[in-house]
Amino acid sequence: MEEIKNVIELKNVSKDYGDFKLDNVSFSVPEGSVCGFIGQNGAGKTTTINLILDIIKRDSGEIKVFGENVSEKSAALRENIGVVFDEMGFHEFMTGKDINIMMKNIYKNWDEEAFFDYLKRFSLPAKKPCGKFSRGMRMKLQIAVALSHHAKLLVMDEPTSGLDPIVRNEMINIFREFVLNEDHSILLSSHITGDLEKIADEIVFIDGGKILLSGNKDEILEKHGILKCKKSELPMVSESLIVSFEESSFGAEVLINDRHAAARLYPDMVIEPAPLEQIMIFYVNRG
Amino acid sequence: MKGLIIKDIFCLRKQLKTFTFVLIGVFVLALMYVLSARFGNIAKAGADMLMDNDLTTVDVKNIGSFVLVLFMIIPMSAVLDMTIIFNADGEAGFNRIAGALPLSIHKRLFARFLTIYALFGMGIAVDTVLAIIISSLTDMMTFGELMGVVVSAAAIFSIYGALIIFFNVLLGYGKDQYCQLFAIFTTVLAAALLNIGHLIKIWKVLFLEQEIDLNVWGWLDYLKTKAWIVVIAAILVSAASYGLSLYIADRKRGVI
Repeated sequence: MEEIKNVIELKNVSKDYGDFKLDNVSFSVPEGSVCGFIGQNGAGKTTTINLILDIIKRDSGEIKVFGENVSEKSAALRENIGVVFDEMGFHEFMTGKDINIMMKNIYKNWDEEAFFDYLKRFSLPAKKPCGKFSRGMRMKLQIAVALSHHAKLLVMDEPTSGLDPIVRNEMINIFREFVLNEDHSILLSSHITGDLEKIADEIVFIDGGKILLSGNKDEILEKHGILKCKKSELPMVSESLIVSFEESSFGAEVLINDRHAAARLYPDMVIEPAPLEQIMIFYVNRG
Repeated sequence: MKGLIIKDIFCLRKQLKTFTFVLIGVFVLALMYVLSARFGNIAKAGADMLMDNDLTTVDVKNIGSFVLVLFMIIPMSAVLDMTIIFNADGEAGFNRIAGALPLSIHKRLFARFLTIYALFGMGIAVDTVLAIIISSLTDMMTFGELMGVVVSAAAIFSIYGALIIFFNVLLGYGKDQYCQLFAIFTTVLAAALLNIGHLIKIWKVLFLEQEIDLNVWGWLDYLKTKAWIVVIAAILVSAASYGLSLYIADRKRGVI
């Protein structure tokens, strides 16, 4: 059987800012997959992405991108990484043409034709200063840049936040198209779980600088469930199955980590599949 | 790396109009001054003061040179506002993008230095044309002396530029006023320390009323003839600034 290659590998990575600590973070992104990196604002997603890109220095641990230690060859590795941040980052007076001139003198594999094709496809005027673009257009411009140097890995930090559902859907289709190529992979950070549910193969869930959950998205969704019961029935539920629970005047909702085992043990209780958003909320509320 | 220099020059595009206006203004004023000093009122005033023994021939020549030096320095100083680039990068959030580009910190920092030297190169080119015109119209300063002043000025300003880069990397985005202040203060302090003997003499003359022979125009001769010393100082300061900035930027990341 062919061994699965990882495009990103983090082992026990830590970064301490004093008021925030990324604590022993370990996860990997298999080649050809879309990895959804979820967590609430301030959970440590951006710090982790900055560490992967070697924009900031880690305190300890190991980070490999394309199998290479990131701190040794970060500049060369970035030739194959397309990056999209939550804010555009280009100077507002710059036009698509300016950005093309700049980037073709930076990336060895810059494809001018592809860049202008993307601008056309995304309906972005090449001669208009990007400061006059809407938020959706700015994100598309970043994606056009990220895709125009034949990157094999896209690293995106909240690219869909603040966008309307139509633009978000359009962007997700672009990401889907990108991963049609088997050696293309995506690390997509977001707190909009609905987007990740549509596109992600893998899920990494971070909170308070710690990884709470990681693995195959379908397996995570398959395993977790919401058990609905009366408050009085709550003590009957095995503690080993409970991730966390919420009580209300109508009863209790319990996130369980093995839906099928729970169904066997408690056939009279209602157990529903849990969407990613609810899984995230219950894990965060676990404290 | 070339891409970053191009981006920096794009950032200065807005300043191009001001720069062009300053250059045209300096050209016109310098020509008017030179012509007046040779044929017009300035020449007449100089002759009158010589007749009345208010000034010596050397004084008249030095005053003329002093004005010409000012004209030569203006185009150079017009390219000085490189903090615009740092601000523009910070405001746009470009620093984060730059950190994700396939460029090492060393290359990103080196690009910044090259941008500054390219700007001074533009200033030197303009000044060379001005020096050719002025030296052909007047005997107040030779072409060599004028170019000595230009090179000295470029070297002094590049010391300032190297210090700006260092303080910018050290203090980070949004501290541009402090960067300018510290860079000016450091440059002036270094110049004062190098001329401490001369400054003590001036102090003695002004405040202790001692009768010491002061060479008032010594600095002008220095700029005209000792440009190589200033150039060496600029190279040393730039090298030190580059080394320290690289060390800090490597530790902090994402600042340049």
